[in-house]
Amino acid sequence: MSLSFKPIKPLLLTGGKGGSGFFSFLGLGIGVLLLLCSVQMYINIQQLLKEGSIRKDGYDYISITKPITNATMGQPEKSLFNQQDIDELKAYPLIENVSPLLPNDFRVMLSAGDVVPFRTDMFLETLDNDFLDTLPPSFTWQPGQQNLPIILSSDFFEIYNVFAPGQNLPQISKETAGGMVVHVHCEGNNNNEVFYGRIVAFSDRVNSVLVPKSFLSWANEKFGKGKPVLSSRLFIKTKDANSTELLKFFDSKGYKLNKDKTLLGRNKIVIQGIFSALGIFGLLVVILALLLFSFYLQLVIARSKDNLQLLLTIGYSPKWLGANFSRRFVPMYVIIVFGALLATQIMQWAFHHFIMYNRPELSSIVHWLVITIAVVLILLSVITNYRLVKKLLYKLYVNE
Amino acid sequence: MILSINNLLPTYFDAQRANTSDIWGKNIQFNKGELVKIVAPSGSGKTSFMHFLYGMRNQYNGEVKYDNNSLKNYTPEDFAKARSNNVSIVFQDMKLLPEPTVLENLEIKRQLNPYHNGDKVLEMAQRLGVGSKLHSKGKTCSYGEQQRVAIIRSLLQPFDYLLLDEPFSHLDNANAEKAMALIIEEAKLRNATVILADLEKIDFYPYTSIYYL
Repeated sequence: MSLSFKPIKPLLLTGGKGGSGFFSFLGLGIGVLLLLCSVQMYINIQQLLKEGSIRKDGYDYISITKPITNATMGQPEKSLFNQQDIDELKAYPLIENVSPLLPNDFRVMLSAGDVVPFRTDMFLETLDNDFLDTLPPSFTWQPGQQNLPIILSSDFFEIYNVFAPGQNLPQISKETAGGMVVHVHCEGNNNNEVFYGRIVAFSDRVNSVLVPKSFLSWANEKFGKGKPVLSSRLFIKTKDANSTELLKFFDSKGYKLNKDKTLLGRNKIVIQGIFSALGIFGLLVVILALLLFSFYLQLVIARSKDNLQLLLTIGYSPKWLGANFSRRFVPMYVIIVFGALLATQIMQWAFHHFIMYNRPELSSIVHWLVITIAVVLILLSVITNYRLVKKLLYKLYVNE
Repeated sequence: MILSINNLLPTYFDAQRANTSDIWGKNIQFNKGELVKIVAPSGSGKTSFMHFLYGMRNQYNGEVKYDNNSLKNYTPEDFAKARSNNVSIVFQDMKLLPEPTVLENLEIKRQLNPYHNGDKVLEMAQRLGVGSKLHSKGKTCSYGEQQRVAIIRSLLQPFDYLLLDEPFSHLDNANAEKAMALIIEEAKLRNATVILADLEKIDFYPYTSIYYL
């Protein structure tokens, strides 16, 4: 004959319909739902905004500048990056690498030779090859070479085609531009030389006119003023350009970011803040509900004190009584938490299907972390419950 | 299992009580199969003594030991084990569960460690004249009926010691004798020791040793 809890059960809920129990279960359900939904939405935002910037080999590349204000105008040392700034950035853990966008230190003029009647003052810049999104093999230069490969910003090219008709200049396709040779006039330090520039690629990432680093180093030395050349723009290589921590770091340094690439990151900070607050609120509701439930348990035990004491007196084990008493509430916990999980799943499916139109970055199924949290919540409730009941029963023992 | 007491004295008693008592302040071992009679006038600490032996109270100096293990070192789980396997009791105030029926009261105890089957429970109830009360709630039974149910309840488990605290206080002589016969029978079956405490001597209790509290 095994020990049965059936005849004991009616002795434990004397004199009450469990109203406070119902409210604590309701509270628990709401709290768990809030918590699980918040975690799922938090994860959704992470997954959505991971795709917010141009990536190469799993890295994001963003550019930063120092802000130019009325106070810093005319003081290049305040708007240019020195070696110390670069070293500091390189040392920051979320930054993989830093490359300054080095400008020319001499006069550069561009003409289209005899093909198009076009001549303008121009600038050249250079960047480490590692930071370029398009890098054709022809993008190299050696002293003595007259041909100069150029990588042009796609944006600049667009702008040219916008203003060209107004200036009576022809609009040009990318293919034609690639075949054109432009004359690059370099002057300075009592030297001047013409190179034959050819656009070898267009860059979506770098808004500049880029030439190989070997060329600009050589040319700055030959035509430049002889001073070290400082950069006003740095390119940053990072795992996540939308990392809120990284953005806060830049803010603290007063650096200005390429806004397009980080706008999502800024939104992410706000949205994640909202969902974190909701999650914390959910957690608080869960804690409150568990507290309320512990009061309910204490009430039930206080109501059945005489019966429980008698059972202990005639030889029932407090451990057995406690375990069986607590076990009665396990199905309720499981139903509540899995109900909340199911509601979260439905919410996630609806969010993915109706609001995000099945975007591939998201999943219709809740994240494994949400399921883990649900299981942990059940375990937590059951364990705290069991410990509380056991403690209360031992207390009855001491008082008997 | 052997029960012994060493210099046992309630903390709320004068030390001088030991001079006039056969129990308080003495070292006694209650051997297996003994039928012990304790004569205890009102206020001599009879119920306290029974509660000390059962481990329900511990306001005493000295020691109560089962097999040389002091009750003061018992955990709640140890007590639960001892109370369902080795020591049984009939309380002076019966201590039945008020809402469950008589049969449920008996089954709740029996399922802990069944020494008898369900038929034996019915037989005992018939024998002590409470067979018709099995389906009445504990609280609706008279004191006399409750006392008989409490006696049956104490006999449903295995035990080495049976503690009886004024077990017949609400019974007439005829019913008390019937109950006594059942108790002795059951104790013999287990070769158990019976410790009966009452206000005065009971003629129909065939005690083997007597102590004045």
